[in-house]
Amino acid sequence: MIFFAVLLLSMFVSVIVQHFIGPLPYIQARVLLMPIIMFYGALALPVYGMLALTFFGGLMWDALNTQYATDGAVEISAGWSIVLFASLGAIMSGFRPLFLRGRWEIHCLLTGVCTSVLVLAEYLMITIRRQPVHFVFNDEVWWRIAGAGLAAAFLSPLVFFIFNYLAALTGYDPQPQRAELKH
Amino acid sequence: MKQKMHIVAVAAFVILVIITFIVMGQGHTTQRLQSGFLGMISPFLRQGSSLDRKYTEMKAGLKSLKQLEEDNKRLTVESKELSATNQTLRDMEAENNKLRNALGYRERSVFKLVPARIIARDPSTWYQTVKIDRGSAEGVKSDMPVLTEEGLVGKTTVVSDHASVVILISDENCGVSANIEGSREQGIVRGERLANRGLPAIGLGLLSKEANLTSGQKVYSSGVGGVFPSGVLIGAVREFKVRELQGYASLVPAVDLSTIDDVFVVISGSK
Repeated sequence: MIFFAVLLLSMFVSVIVQHFIGPLPYIQARVLLMPIIMFYGALALPVYGMLALTFFGGLMWDALNTQYATDGAVEISAGWSIVLFASLGAIMSGFRPLFLRGRWEIHCLLTGVCTSVLVLAEYLMITIRRQPVHFVFNDEVWWRIAGAGLAAAFLSPLVFFIFNYLAALTGYDPQPQRAELKH
Repeated sequence: MKQKMHIVAVAAFVILVIITFIVMGQGHTTQRLQSGFLGMISPFLRQGSSLDRKYTEMKAGLKSLKQLEEDNKRLTVESKELSATNQTLRDMEAENNKLRNALGYRERSVFKLVPARIIARDPSTWYQTVKIDRGSAEGVKSDMPVLTEEGLVGKTTVVSDHASVVILISDENCGVSANIEGSREQGIVRGERLANRGLPAIGLGLLSKEANLTSGQKVYSSGVGGVFPSGVLIGAVREFKVRELQGYASLVPAVDLSTIDDVFVVISGSK
Protein backbone atom coordinates (compact mmCIF):
# COMPACT_ATOMS: atom_id res chain seq x y z
CA MET A 1 0.00 0.00 0.00
CA ILE A 2 2.84 2.38 0.85
CA PHE A 3 4.59 1.50 -2.39
CA PHE A 4 1.35 2.08 -4.31
CA ALA A 5 1.14 5.56 -2.75
CA VAL A 6 4.79 6.18 -3.68
CA LEU A 7 4.06 5.21 -7.29
CA LEU A 8 0.96 7.41 -7.40
CA LEU A 9 2.82 10.39 -5.96
CA SER A 10 5.69 9.82 -8.38
CA MET A 11 3.24 9.81 -11.29
CA PHE A 12 1.84 13.14 -10.10
CA VAL A 13 5.33 14.62 -9.77
CA SER A 14 6.36 13.29 -13.19
CA VAL A 15 3.33 14.99 -14.76
CA ILE A 16 4.67 18.29 -13.42
CA VAL A 17 8.29 17.56 -14.39
CA GLN A 18 7.19 16.68 -17.95
CA HIS A 19 6.21 20.33 -18.43
CA PHE A 20 9.83 21.38 -18.13
CA ILE A 21 11.28 18.81 -20.50
CA GLY A 22 11.24 20.22 -24.00
CA PRO A 23 10.71 18.11 -27.09
CA LEU A 24 13.68 16.09 -28.32
CA PRO A 25 15.73 18.08 -30.83
CA TYR A 26 15.15 17.36 -34.55
CA ILE A 27 12.46 14.71 -34.06
CA GLN A 28 10.19 16.79 -31.76
CA ALA A 29 9.13 13.72 -29.78
CA ARG A 30 8.23 14.21 -26.11
CA VAL A 31 9.77 12.48 -23.14
CA LEU A 32 6.79 10.95 -21.35
CA LEU A 33 7.83 10.11 -17.80
CA MET A 34 4.46 9.34 -16.30
CA PRO A 35 3.68 6.32 -18.54
CA ILE A 36 7.10 4.80 -17.73
CA ILE A 37 6.29 4.87 -14.00
CA MET A 38 2.80 3.56 -14.66
CA PHE A 39 4.12 0.67 -16.77
CA TYR A 40 6.63 -0.13 -14.02
CA GLY A 41 3.69 -0.18 -11.60
CA ALA A 42 1.87 -2.60 -13.91
CA LEU A 43 4.82 -4.98 -13.55
CA ALA A 44 5.51 -4.49 -9.87
CA LEU A 45 1.94 -4.58 -8.57
CA PRO A 46 -0.71 -7.31 -8.77
CA VAL A 47 -3.63 -6.86 -11.20
CA TYR A 48 -5.82 -4.82 -8.82
CA GLY A 49 -2.91 -2.46 -8.09
CA MET A 50 -2.22 -2.09 -11.81
CA LEU A 51 -5.88 -1.28 -12.49
CA ALA A 52 -6.01 1.32 -9.71
CA LEU A 53 -2.80 2.89 -10.97
CA THR A 54 -4.00 3.05 -14.58
CA PHE A 55 -7.29 4.54 -13.43
CA PHE A 56 -5.64 7.43 -11.60
CA GLY A 57 -3.00 7.76 -14.32
CA GLY A 58 -5.63 8.00 -17.05
CA LEU A 59 -7.62 10.51 -15.05
CA MET A 60 -4.53 12.70 -14.56
CA TRP A 61 -3.65 12.38 -18.26
CA ASP A 62 -7.14 13.48 -19.29
CA ALA A 63 -7.21 16.30 -16.75
CA LEU A 64 -4.07 17.57 -18.42
CA ASN A 65 -4.77 16.91 -22.07
CA THR A 66 -8.47 16.89 -22.89
CA GLN A 67 -9.31 19.62 -25.36
CA TYR A 68 -12.45 21.28 -26.52
CA ALA A 69 -13.60 21.38 -30.12
CA THR A 70 -14.68 24.67 -31.68
CA ASP A 71 -18.29 24.05 -30.66
CA GLY A 72 -17.22 23.81 -27.01
CA ALA A 73 -17.84 20.07 -26.72
CA VAL A 74 -15.13 17.82 -25.30
CA GLU A 75 -13.02 16.60 -28.19
CA ILE A 76 -12.09 13.20 -26.77
CA SER A 77 -14.12 12.28 -23.73
CA ALA A 78 -12.18 12.03 -20.48
CA GLY A 79 -12.00 8.34 -19.64
CA TRP A 80 -10.52 7.09 -22.90
CA SER A 81 -7.00 7.43 -21.52
CA ILE A 82 -8.00 5.18 -18.61
CA VAL A 83 -9.12 2.50 -21.07
CA LEU A 84 -5.95 2.95 -23.10
CA PHE A 85 -3.66 2.88 -20.06
CA ALA A 86 -5.45 -0.16 -18.64
CA SER A 87 -5.16 -2.04 -21.94
CA LEU A 88 -1.43 -1.33 -22.17
CA GLY A 89 -1.03 -2.00 -18.45
CA ALA A 90 -2.70 -5.39 -18.95
CA ILE A 91 -0.16 -6.24 -21.67
CA MET A 92 2.67 -5.29 -19.31
CA SER A 93 1.04 -7.27 -16.54
CA GLY A 94 1.07 -10.32 -18.84
CA PHE A 95 4.88 -10.17 -18.71
CA ARG A 96 4.87 -9.92 -14.91
CA PRO A 97 5.81 -13.55 -14.20
CA LEU A 98 9.15 -12.97 -15.92
CA PHE A 99 9.64 -9.69 -14.03
CA LEU A 100 8.93 -11.44 -10.72
CA ARG A 101 11.79 -13.79 -11.50
CA GLY A 102 14.18 -10.86 -11.67
CA ARG A 103 14.29 -10.16 -15.41
CA TRP A 104 13.71 -6.61 -16.65
CA GLU A 105 15.36 -6.27 -20.09
CA ILE A 106 12.37 -7.25 -22.20
CA HIS A 107 10.12 -5.12 -19.98
CA CYS A 108 12.18 -2.01 -20.71
CA LEU A 109 11.78 -2.61 -24.43
CA LEU A 110 8.09 -3.26 -23.92
CA THR A 111 7.77 0.03 -22.02
CA GLY A 112 9.13 1.77 -25.12
CA VAL A 113 6.72 -0.08 -27.40
CA CYS A 114 3.73 0.65 -25.14
CA THR A 115 4.66 4.36 -24.93
CA SER A 116 4.78 4.53 -28.73
CA VAL A 117 1.42 2.76 -28.95
CA LEU A 118 0.02 5.30 -26.49
CA VAL A 119 1.19 8.24 -28.63
CA LEU A 120 -0.06 6.53 -31.80
CA ALA A 121 -3.46 5.85 -30.22
CA GLU A 122 -3.74 9.52 -29.21
CA TYR A 123 -2.92 10.55 -32.77
CA LEU A 124 -5.53 8.19 -34.21
CA MET A 125 -8.19 9.38 -31.77
CA ILE A 126 -7.52 13.03 -32.63
CA THR A 127 -7.53 12.29 -36.35
CA ILE A 128 -10.80 10.39 -36.21
CA ARG A 129 -12.46 13.02 -34.03
CA ARG A 130 -11.42 16.02 -36.13
CA GLN A 131 -13.37 16.54 -39.34
CA PRO A 132 -12.57 16.00 -42.13
CA VAL A 133 -10.76 12.78 -41.23
CA HIS A 134 -7.35 13.12 -42.79
CA PHE A 135 -4.66 10.58 -41.95
CA VAL A 136 -1.18 11.97 -42.33
CA PHE A 137 1.62 9.51 -41.74
CA ASN A 138 4.78 11.21 -42.81
CA ASP A 139 8.29 11.02 -41.33
CA GLU A 140 7.51 13.68 -38.73
CA VAL A 141 4.54 11.74 -37.34
CA TRP A 142 6.45 8.48 -37.22
CA TRP A 143 9.43 10.11 -35.51
CA ARG A 144 7.22 11.66 -32.87
CA ILE A 145 5.62 8.29 -32.19
CA ALA A 146 8.82 6.27 -32.32
CA GLY A 147 10.88 8.96 -30.57
CA ALA A 148 8.62 8.91 -27.50
CA GLY A 149 9.02 5.12 -27.37
CA LEU A 150 12.78 5.24 -27.80
CA ALA A 151 13.11 7.85 -25.04
CA ALA A 152 10.96 5.67 -22.77
CA ALA A 153 12.98 2.54 -23.58
CA PHE A 154 16.25 4.35 -22.81
CA LEU A 155 14.97 5.86 -19.57
CA SER A 156 13.12 2.83 -18.25
CA PRO A 157 16.16 0.89 -16.87
CA LEU A 158 16.97 3.91 -14.69
CA VAL A 159 13.33 4.33 -13.64
CA PHE A 160 13.04 0.58 -12.89
CA PHE A 161 16.23 0.72 -10.82
CA ILE A 162 15.06 3.77 -8.81
CA PHE A 163 11.66 2.24 -8.10
CA ASN A 164 13.10 -1.14 -7.18
CA TYR A 165 15.22 0.76 -4.65
CA LEU A 166 12.21 2.74 -3.38
CA ALA A 167 10.23 -0.50 -3.13
CA ALA A 168 12.95 -1.98 -0.94
CA LEU A 169 12.84 1.14 1.26
CA THR A 170 9.10 0.74 1.73
CA GLY A 171 9.44 -2.96 2.50
CA TYR A 172 7.86 -4.17 -0.75
CA ASP A 173 9.58 -6.74 -2.93
CA PRO A 174 8.55 -6.29 -6.58
CA GLN A 175 10.64 -9.29 -7.74
CA PRO A 176 10.20 -11.92 -5.01
CA GLN A 177 11.27 -14.85 -7.21
CA ARG A 178 14.60 -13.23 -8.13
CA ALA A 179 16.50 -15.69 -5.97
CA GLU A 180 15.01 -18.67 -7.87
CA LEU A 181 16.51 -17.37 -11.12
CA LYS A 182 19.95 -17.10 -9.54
CA HIS A 183 19.85 -20.72 -8.44
CA MET B 1 -9.34 -17.20 -4.30
CA LYS B 2 -6.75 -15.19 -6.24
CA GLN B 3 -8.76 -15.57 -9.44
CA LYS B 4 -11.92 -14.40 -7.66
CA MET B 5 -10.08 -11.32 -6.43
CA HIS B 6 -8.95 -10.56 -9.98
CA ILE B 7 -12.50 -10.83 -11.28
CA VAL B 8 -13.78 -8.51 -8.54
CA ALA B 9 -10.98 -6.00 -9.31
CA VAL B 10 -11.70 -6.02 -13.04
CA ALA B 11 -15.45 -5.69 -12.45
CA ALA B 12 -14.91 -2.76 -10.05
CA PHE B 13 -12.58 -1.15 -12.58
CA VAL B 14 -15.09 -1.50 -15.42
CA ILE B 15 -17.84 0.02 -13.27
CA LEU B 16 -15.55 2.92 -12.31
CA VAL B 17 -14.66 3.55 -15.96
CA ILE B 18 -18.33 3.52 -17.00
CA ILE B 19 -19.14 6.00 -14.21
CA THR B 20 -16.22 8.18 -15.38
CA PHE B 21 -17.54 8.16 -18.95
CA ILE B 22 -21.05 9.08 -17.79
CA VAL B 23 -19.86 11.87 -15.48
CA MET B 24 -17.16 13.22 -17.80
CA GLY B 25 -19.41 13.02 -20.85
CA GLN B 26 -20.72 16.41 -19.87
CA GLY B 27 -18.31 19.12 -20.92
CA HIS B 28 -18.60 21.19 -17.75
CA THR B 29 -17.61 18.25 -15.49
CA THR B 30 -14.46 17.69 -17.53
CA GLN B 31 -13.72 21.39 -17.37
CA ARG B 32 -14.15 21.33 -13.58
CA LEU B 33 -11.79 18.35 -13.33
CA GLN B 34 -9.22 20.11 -15.51
CA SER B 35 -9.59 23.36 -13.63
CA GLY B 36 -9.15 21.57 -10.28
CA PHE B 37 -6.11 19.66 -11.52
CA LEU B 38 -4.59 22.82 -12.98
CA GLY B 39 -5.12 24.55 -9.64
CA MET B 40 -3.36 21.65 -7.94
CA ILE B 41 -0.27 21.65 -10.16
CA SER B 42 0.00 25.40 -10.82
CA PRO B 43 1.98 26.25 -7.62
CA PHE B 44 4.58 23.66 -8.64
CA LEU B 45 4.62 24.93 -12.21
CA ARG B 46 5.19 28.49 -10.94
CA GLN B 47 8.08 27.39 -8.77
CA GLY B 48 9.54 25.30 -11.57
CA SER B 49 9.20 28.14 -14.05
CA SER B 50 10.82 30.59 -11.65
CA LEU B 51 13.75 28.19 -11.09
CA ASP B 52 14.06 27.67 -14.83
CA ARG B 53 14.21 31.44 -15.40
CA LYS B 54 16.77 31.94 -12.67
CA TYR B 55 18.92 29.26 -14.21
CA THR B 56 18.62 30.81 -17.69
CA GLU B 57 19.45 34.26 -16.32
CA MET B 58 22.43 32.87 -14.47
CA LYS B 59 23.63 31.20 -17.63
CA ALA B 60 23.23 34.43 -19.59
CA GLY B 61 25.50 36.13 -17.08
CA LEU B 62 25.02 39.19 -14.93
CA LYS B 63 24.95 42.60 -16.58
CA SER B 64 27.41 45.24 -15.55
CA LEU B 65 26.27 48.35 -13.69
CA LYS B 66 27.02 50.48 -16.74
CA GLN B 67 24.90 48.25 -18.95
CA LEU B 68 22.04 48.43 -16.45
CA GLU B 69 22.28 52.22 -16.37
CA GLU B 70 22.12 52.39 -20.15
CA ASP B 71 19.17 50.01 -20.23
CA ASN B 72 17.40 52.08 -17.61
CA LYS B 73 17.89 55.31 -19.58
CA ARG B 74 16.69 53.71 -22.81
CA LEU B 75 13.64 52.16 -21.14
CA THR B 76 12.68 55.44 -19.42
CA VAL B 77 12.71 57.26 -22.77
CA GLU B 78 10.79 54.41 -24.41
CA SER B 79 8.22 54.41 -21.60
CA LYS B 80 7.64 58.19 -21.99
CA GLU B 81 7.25 57.81 -25.74
CA LEU B 82 4.76 54.98 -25.31
CA SER B 83 2.76 56.92 -22.71
CA ALA B 84 2.50 59.86 -25.12
CA THR B 85 1.46 57.58 -28.00
CA ASN B 86 -1.03 55.83 -25.77
CA GLN B 87 -2.61 59.15 -24.77
CA THR B 88 -2.92 60.20 -28.42
CA LEU B 89 -4.49 56.86 -29.30
CA ARG B 90 -6.99 57.19 -26.44
CA ASP B 91 -8.01 60.64 -27.71
CA MET B 92 -8.41 59.22 -31.19
CA GLU B 93 -10.42 56.32 -29.83
CA ALA B 94 -12.76 58.67 -27.99
CA GLU B 95 -13.18 60.72 -31.17
CA ASN B 96 -13.73 57.56 -33.20
CA ASN B 97 -16.38 56.36 -30.76
CA LYS B 98 -18.14 59.73 -30.94
CA LEU B 99 -18.26 59.48 -34.72
CA ARG B 100 -19.36 55.84 -34.60
CA ASN B 101 -22.07 56.85 -32.17
CA ALA B 102 -23.19 59.61 -34.49
CA LEU B 103 -23.44 57.04 -37.29
CA GLY B 104 -25.36 54.67 -35.03
CA TYR B 105 -22.54 52.09 -34.81
CA ARG B 106 -21.73 50.15 -31.67
CA GLU B 107 -18.98 51.77 -29.60
CA ARG B 108 -15.59 50.13 -29.64
CA SER B 109 -14.58 49.39 -26.08
CA VAL B 110 -11.10 49.90 -24.72
CA PHE B 111 -9.02 46.74 -24.24
CA LYS B 112 -8.29 45.92 -20.64
CA LEU B 113 -5.18 43.81 -20.54
CA VAL B 114 -3.86 41.58 -17.81
CA PRO B 115 -0.15 40.83 -18.15
CA ALA B 116 0.71 37.17 -17.69
CA ARG B 117 3.79 35.03 -17.71
CA ILE B 118 4.05 31.63 -19.36
CA ILE B 119 4.82 29.12 -16.64
CA ALA B 120 4.77 25.94 -18.69
CA ARG B 121 4.52 24.68 -22.22
CA ASP B 122 2.38 21.78 -23.28
CA PRO B 123 3.92 18.41 -22.40
CA SER B 124 1.80 16.44 -24.88
CA THR B 125 2.77 15.40 -28.39
CA TRP B 126 -0.16 16.59 -30.46
CA TYR B 127 -1.46 19.74 -28.78
CA GLN B 128 -0.22 23.31 -28.83
CA THR B 129 -0.97 24.98 -25.52
CA VAL B 130 0.82 26.94 -22.81
CA LYS B 131 -0.02 27.61 -19.18
CA ILE B 132 -0.02 31.16 -17.80
CA ASP B 133 0.15 32.44 -14.23
CA ARG B 134 -3.16 34.33 -14.28
CA GLY B 135 -6.58 32.85 -13.51
CA SER B 136 -10.09 33.64 -12.40
CA ALA B 137 -8.81 35.56 -9.35
CA GLU B 138 -7.28 38.08 -11.77
CA GLY B 139 -10.44 38.29 -13.90
CA VAL B 140 -9.50 35.71 -16.53
CA LYS B 141 -12.31 33.57 -17.93
CA SER B 142 -12.34 30.93 -20.63
CA ASP B 143 -12.42 32.06 -24.29
CA MET B 144 -10.53 35.29 -23.67
CA PRO B 145 -8.04 36.41 -26.33
CA VAL B 146 -4.34 36.33 -25.50
CA LEU B 147 -1.85 38.51 -27.37
CA THR B 148 1.50 40.24 -27.24
CA GLU B 149 2.56 43.60 -28.61
CA GLU B 150 3.52 41.75 -31.80
CA GLY B 151 0.21 40.01 -32.46
CA LEU B 152 -2.27 37.28 -31.57
CA VAL B 153 -1.20 34.31 -29.45
CA GLY B 154 -4.39 32.34 -28.77
CA LYS B 155 -7.26 32.13 -26.31
CA THR B 156 -7.81 30.84 -22.80
CA THR B 157 -9.58 27.51 -22.29
CA VAL B 158 -9.30 25.97 -18.83
CA VAL B 159 -9.11 28.52 -16.03
CA SER B 160 -8.25 27.87 -12.39
CA ASP B 161 -7.85 30.41 -9.58
CA HIS B 162 -4.30 31.48 -10.41
CA ALA B 163 -3.46 29.76 -13.68
CA SER B 164 -4.99 29.22 -17.10
CA VAL B 165 -4.41 27.14 -20.17
CA VAL B 166 -3.99 29.06 -23.42
CA ILE B 167 -4.63 27.24 -26.67
CA LEU B 168 -2.26 28.70 -29.25
CA ILE B 169 -3.33 29.80 -32.73
CA SER B 170 -0.99 27.09 -33.99
CA ASP B 171 -3.33 24.41 -32.59
CA GLU B 172 -5.81 22.87 -34.99
CA ASN B 173 -8.63 23.48 -32.50
CA CYS B 174 -8.13 27.25 -32.42
CA GLY B 175 -9.89 28.96 -35.32
CA VAL B 176 -9.71 32.73 -35.89
CA SER B 177 -11.71 34.52 -38.55
CA ALA B 178 -9.39 36.79 -40.45
CA ASN B 179 -9.08 39.28 -43.25
CA ILE B 180 -6.13 40.16 -45.41
CA GLU B 181 -4.42 43.47 -45.89
CA GLY B 182 -5.20 44.94 -49.31
CA SER B 183 -7.82 42.29 -50.12
CA ARG B 184 -11.53 41.75 -49.54
CA GLU B 185 -10.96 38.06 -48.90
CA GLN B 186 -11.92 36.57 -45.55
CA GLY B 187 -10.97 33.19 -44.16
CA ILE B 188 -10.27 31.16 -41.06
CA VAL B 189 -6.80 30.89 -39.56
CA ARG B 190 -6.13 27.51 -38.01
CA GLY B 191 -3.09 25.72 -36.72
CA GLU B 192 -1.59 22.89 -38.69
CA ARG B 193 -1.42 19.63 -36.78
CA LEU B 194 2.14 18.94 -37.74
CA ALA B 195 4.40 21.81 -36.97
CA ASN B 196 6.94 22.80 -39.54
CA ARG B 197 10.09 21.07 -38.19
CA GLY B 198 9.00 21.86 -34.66
CA LEU B 199 8.04 25.44 -35.40
CA PRO B 200 4.38 26.28 -34.87
CA ALA B 201 2.60 26.51 -38.22
CA ILE B 202 -0.65 28.23 -39.13
CA GLY B 203 -2.69 28.45 -42.30
CA LEU B 204 -5.53 30.53 -43.68
CA GLY B 205 -8.30 28.47 -45.24
CA LEU B 206 -11.76 28.97 -46.75
CA LEU B 207 -10.44 31.53 -49.24
CA SER B 208 -11.73 31.77 -52.78
CA LYS B 209 -9.59 30.10 -55.43
CA GLU B 210 -9.10 33.49 -57.05
CA ALA B 211 -7.73 35.11 -53.88
CA ASN B 212 -4.21 35.08 -55.33
CA LEU B 213 -2.48 36.33 -52.19
CA THR B 214 1.13 37.31 -52.37
CA SER B 215 3.89 36.49 -49.96
CA GLY B 216 4.22 39.03 -47.15
CA GLN B 217 0.59 40.24 -47.12
CA LYS B 218 -0.48 40.76 -43.54
CA VAL B 219 -3.40 38.88 -41.98
CA TYR B 220 -5.51 40.44 -39.20
CA SER B 221 -8.31 39.10 -37.02
CA SER B 222 -11.69 40.23 -38.35
CA GLY B 223 -13.59 40.14 -35.06
CA VAL B 224 -16.26 37.82 -36.51
CA GLY B 225 -17.21 35.15 -33.99
CA GLY B 226 -16.91 37.40 -30.98
CA VAL B 227 -13.91 35.81 -29.24
CA PHE B 228 -11.05 37.72 -30.84
CA PRO B 229 -11.02 41.51 -31.25
CA SER B 230 -10.71 42.83 -34.77
CA GLY B 231 -7.52 44.27 -36.18
CA VAL B 232 -5.01 42.17 -34.27
CA LEU B 233 -2.11 41.01 -36.41
CA ILE B 234 -2.02 37.23 -36.81
CA GLY B 235 0.78 36.78 -39.31
CA ALA B 236 1.89 37.24 -42.89
CA VAL B 237 1.27 35.13 -45.97
CA ARG B 238 4.11 32.74 -46.76
CA GLU B 239 2.61 30.92 -49.72
CA PHE B 240 -0.77 30.75 -51.46
CA LYS B 241 -2.04 27.49 -52.94
CA VAL B 242 -5.21 26.60 -54.79
CA ARG B 243 -6.75 23.41 -53.43
CA GLU B 244 -9.59 21.33 -54.81
CA LEU B 245 -12.37 23.37 -53.22
CA GLN B 246 -10.71 26.46 -51.80
CA GLY B 247 -7.71 28.73 -51.70
CA TYR B 248 -5.28 28.16 -48.84
CA ALA B 249 -2.41 30.27 -47.59
CA SER B 250 0.27 29.11 -45.21
CA LEU B 251 1.23 31.90 -42.81
CA VAL B 252 4.23 32.99 -40.80
CA PRO B 253 2.89 33.76 -37.29
CA ALA B 254 3.46 37.36 -36.15
CA VAL B 255 4.48 36.10 -32.73
CA ASP B 256 7.21 33.53 -32.29
CA LEU B 257 5.00 31.07 -30.43
CA SER B 258 7.84 28.75 -29.48
CA THR B 259 9.81 31.34 -27.50
CA ILE B 260 7.32 33.82 -26.00
CA ASP B 261 7.52 34.30 -22.26
CA ASP B 262 5.12 37.15 -21.52
CA VAL B 263 1.62 37.71 -22.88
CA PHE B 264 -1.48 39.82 -22.23
CA VAL B 265 -4.99 38.48 -21.65
CA VAL B 266 -7.72 40.76 -23.01
CA ILE B 267 -10.21 40.69 -20.16
CA SER B 268 -12.58 43.32 -21.55
CA GLY B 269 -13.34 45.02 -24.79
CA SER B 270 -12.81 41.82 -26.67
CA LYS B 271 -16.36 41.41 -27.89
